[in-house]
Amino acid sequence: MKLSRIFGPVGIVWFLLTLGVIAYATKLGLILAPVDALQGNVFRIIFYHVPHSMLSLLFPYINLAASLCYLYWRQRDPLKALTADAWAISSAEVTVLYASICLWTGMLWGRVEWGLWWTWDARLTSMLLLWLLYVSYLMLRKLSATGQTHTLAAVLSVFAAIDVPIVYMSIKWWRTQHPAPIFFSGDPDAKMDPSMLPAFLWNIVGWAMWGIFLLCFRYALERRRQAREQDAALQAIEASLELAQ
Amino acid sequence: MKLSWMFGSSMEARHLLYVYLSVWFIQGGYLAWTAWHWTHTPKGSRAEDPLDSANRKNY
Amino acid sequence: MSYFGHVLCHLRKDLQLEWRSRDSINGMLFFSLLVVVVFSIAFDPTAAISRQIAGGILWVALLFASITALNQAWTRELRNRVLDAQRMSPAPPSAMFLGKALANFLFVVVVELVMALPFFFFYNLHALGQGWLMLVIMPLGTWALVCNGTFFAALGLRTRNRELMLPLILFPISIPALLGMMQATTAVLTGEYEPGLWIRLLVAYNIAFTTVCLLLFETILNAE
Repeated sequence: MKLSRIFGPVGIVWFLLTLGVIAYATKLGLILAPVDALQGNVFRIIFYHVPHSMLSLLFPYINLAASLCYLYWRQRDPLKALTADAWAISSAEVTVLYASICLWTGMLWGRVEWGLWWTWDARLTSMLLLWLLYVSYLMLRKLSATGQTHTLAAVLSVFAAIDVPIVYMSIKWWRTQHPAPIFFSGDPDAKMDPSMLPAFLWNIVGWAMWGIFLLCFRYALERRRQAREQDAALQAIEASLELAQ
Repeated sequence: MKLSWMFGSSMEARHLLYVYLSVWFIQGGYLAWTAWHWTHTPKGSRAEDPLDSANRKNY
Repeated sequence: MSYFGHVLCHLRKDLQLEWRSRDSINGMLFFSLLVVVVFSIAFDPTAAISRQIAGGILWVALLFASITALNQAWTRELRNRVLDAQRMSPAPPSAMFLGKALANFLFVVVVELVMALPFFFFYNLHALGQGWLMLVIMPLGTWALVCNGTFFAALGLRTRNRELMLPLILFPISIPALLGMMQATTAVLTGEYEPGLWIRLLVAYNIAFTTVCLLLFETILNAE
């Protein structure tokens, strides 16, 4: 059974299911009684913010795996390499998407809670750098010469992957030496009240499903583009062959 | 809009609303962008399955 | 010829070419001086504050100066299709990369040595910490910038907007190294904390990225 044939109906079912989960999760997030009447309702922001942060740390790994596969298959099996490349660009775009939302919602939260749009605390700075790394990846994709794009992007992805742990550690040390106001002190799960857990978990599941859906949809779009490029290249070759005859 | 369940400052309420709306807007925007390109990218003759050897023209 | 023979060959070639034209070194020197002057006008620091910010300003100036040099590091290889000839030769491509990176390193070190004096004058600096550590920090920091910079300059060789591409890719990847060099320099100047941690970070960064650059250079050279 061709994979592309079942992509369609499964995709639609998954999409509808995801919408349902997100709607339910949002409702749970909004109607849950506040833990402490003094905290107010603004804490509900974490139901959207934290799942996006956690997921934005997941997709870069997919990008790394896809890039490594691309580099491995580049000479050995070009068709498989193209598949890997499609996964690489999809996961990079979804990473930037989730990281952007994480940063933006974090800023809105900080504005209300602390009166600050931004602070250079360890988490925010690391997230900003992750965002910068993958935006630079997308820029390289856009600006590089055709034919080279896939390889150069895969190499940059390897660099970014090596950089991420170094960034994380260095920023943590920096903020240990020079403390700054911390937006989310400690691990949010650690002080999460059990009554908040259902909303939190449903949101993680919902947004993970949404992320997977976007990833696969973007992958399908990339495969279409690749197929169209291959067609165009083939037409060009056939045209040149005809002229030769 | 029924915001009767909101108590506390209206700045909180506003920011909470901004968060939820902007997340839907951004996620929906990306979905719309992908969907638009999906509908506007013609299916190549190989698009059904590029890995299928039957699609390869043999010279 | 041994591997290091190849490296020395490339290094000598780059040094000779640069010596004859001297365009990158002159450009870099003047550029960094201008950056230092502009920052002095922007911040106008007192002696106490100047020690806090001098480290940052020094490395920003060097960063921008290196970018101007790195941008045209590979262009001389494009002229007369020299790069294609290099690709076809049996010499290891990473030797070419290493030779060029070492050459760029030497150019930036020359700029640093020349810039050190005006810098100390404009900011009325004297190190309150262990000043000799600067002799360790400067080369480590410079190599971090130059190694990755040379690699990404080669990566962006055939992209549109080549000059824009280099800083776009280089800056995010270099931020841990920049943090390390700036913090270490500030530690030495202010004497408020130990630079040891940051120096170790720089060493680890350099080892990691030099290895990756050497391993992956051949891939991007033959990227088509």
